[in-house]
Amino acid sequence: MRAFAASVQEVFREAAARWTLVAYFALSSLFILIFACAVNLDIVNGALAGAKLFGQSVEIGDRAIDVDKIVLGFESGFSGFLYLVGTFLALFATAHLVPRLQEKGTIDLYLSRPVGRVALLLSRYAGGLLLAAANLAYLIGAMWLIVVWKTRVLHPRFLLSGVVILFAFAALLAFAFLVGVVTSSTGVSLMATYALFFLGAALSAHDRIAAAVSTELSARIVQGLYWVFPKTAELGQATVALVAGQEAPERLADFNALGIYGSTAVFAVASLALASWLFSRKDF
Amino acid sequence: MPIPIEAQGLRKVYGSRFRGRRIAALEGLDLKVEPGEVFGLLGPNGAGKTTTVKILLGLTRPSAGSARLFGLPSSDPKSRRRVGYLPEGHRFPGYLTARQTLSIFGRMSGVDTATLGRRIPMLLERVRLTDWTDVRVRKYSKGMTQRLGLAAALVHDPDVLLLDEPTDGVDPIGRREIRDLLQEEAARGKAILLNSHLLSEIERMCSRVAVLRAGRVAAQGRIDELTAGGSRYRLVASGVDERLLAAFRDTGASIERVNGHFDLTARDLDHLNALVDRLRSGGARLQELSPVRSSLEDVFVGLVRDGDAGKGARP
Repeated sequence: MRAFAASVQEVFREAAARWTLVAYFALSSLFILIFACAVNLDIVNGALAGAKLFGQSVEIGDRAIDVDKIVLGFESGFSGFLYLVGTFLALFATAHLVPRLQEKGTIDLYLSRPVGRVALLLSRYAGGLLLAAANLAYLIGAMWLIVVWKTRVLHPRFLLSGVVILFAFAALLAFAFLVGVVTSSTGVSLMATYALFFLGAALSAHDRIAAAVSTELSARIVQGLYWVFPKTAELGQATVALVAGQEAPERLADFNALGIYGSTAVFAVASLALASWLFSRKDF
Repeated sequence: MPIPIEAQGLRKVYGSRFRGRRIAALEGLDLKVEPGEVFGLLGPNGAGKTTTVKILLGLTRPSAGSARLFGLPSSDPKSRRRVGYLPEGHRFPGYLTARQTLSIFGRMSGVDTATLGRRIPMLLERVRLTDWTDVRVRKYSKGMTQRLGLAAALVHDPDVLLLDEPTDGVDPIGRREIRDLLQEEAARGKAILLNSHLLSEIERMCSRVAVLRAGRVAAQGRIDELTAGGSRYRLVASGVDERLLAAFRDTGASIERVNGHFDLTARDLDHLNALVDRLRSGGARLQELSPVRSSLEDVFVGLVRDGDAGKGARP
């Protein structure tokens, strides 16, 4: 446990020293600051009387709008955007964790300690997850506080979006680790993982793609790939649906299905297990 | 008590199954290092020294044979609990200070924070890095990085040290200090396996050596045994003529005149005594007779050259 904790701590030290952590939090802070300055709401008796976005007045009309609904709509829509930004930023900040570990002259220093290879890899993975979780907590928590401050509306479901974003990131990071173990390249790990993200998103239209392909085999392959790869588009929709709760549009109702989370979790576990197996068998 | 370092029939073949090219780095290596012993591993580039160390540490898996540390197979991470390793060309994270480096690697070796708090300043003083304790490693010179590497290898007070070129890039004074430090560790009963190209360093530090050649042990033993000339002697005498030399050769001895002395090879001590009797009875006067001792470099070069010649003779 002591070795595991030391390795996790080293991930944070490395991120801080290489400015990854600083840039990661600086970008998030900039985002929060812009948001805090941009939104100005005038609320009278629980209803929105006036609003300004980036200093421009927003036309409200004669009828009063329920602020609760406005906040809910905003937070659920915004969580979809955070899903994309959060996962991409987190991947960018952590994709180097395995390739850097495997560098000549570095790996010997770690593997010569009485730590199992799988434990070493998993400690880096845990470090990456904690790094992303810390930033997501900061980003989403600050956004939520700003909304509470500006509207006096407490809507804690927004905070749940971080859980889904972290879940999607965990699956993608597992794949980045697998590519990192095989190629020892940060660039290839990042490119392959972003490609997986978009492939997963494209496969959300698997039914339409399968109907359009010419052979039965191709259709089966498309359907098979859909169930193998992480459901990146569906998880984005699930983030929105989770935040919206009862108010979620009907088209999002299916996105919190267990199959979406389950199959993505299986992909993550399989990627991490394969990465661990390959790492434990590798000659350095 | 289990043997600190033990390898039996180690074999390692590198290469791709698909490309068909396979290179044997080790071919049946046997090795044993006892407590308190400084053992040198010598050999030309590609002889298998680094592969041996990597197998002992579980960094590389052997194709055949076994490697054990204190009786535990090298594949078991527990076998590295009592092992300190200094790799060649190591790269400590440049963003860490010496204190942070030793703290992280110490904890990875299972040492608690309180013990590290006491041990780190002591170790840094021992390798003369006290003034650099809180300076980032990226600012260190090569010699300083090497000394930090040694401190990192010692941070958990291991019973076995595996050191790859420990004095690489270190100035002469630093080299002497490292030598002294290793001698102290050996005196405390630690087993040290030293891998170096610097034969003079090996000759000064090691009690036993193994010379590797093409993945095999070409010679192994105590340095004084390996460097002993055996039956070669330096002879200085007056009144030695060609007739006497021919008489020597008739007995099976080999004798050559070299720069004012004779280079004499006898079968054994009895033979040598018989030759001395013959010298005296032939009217010559003996002035000096001393055994010829080779340097470790002579032994090393001789062994490697013999191997190369043997390779050339293969069809």
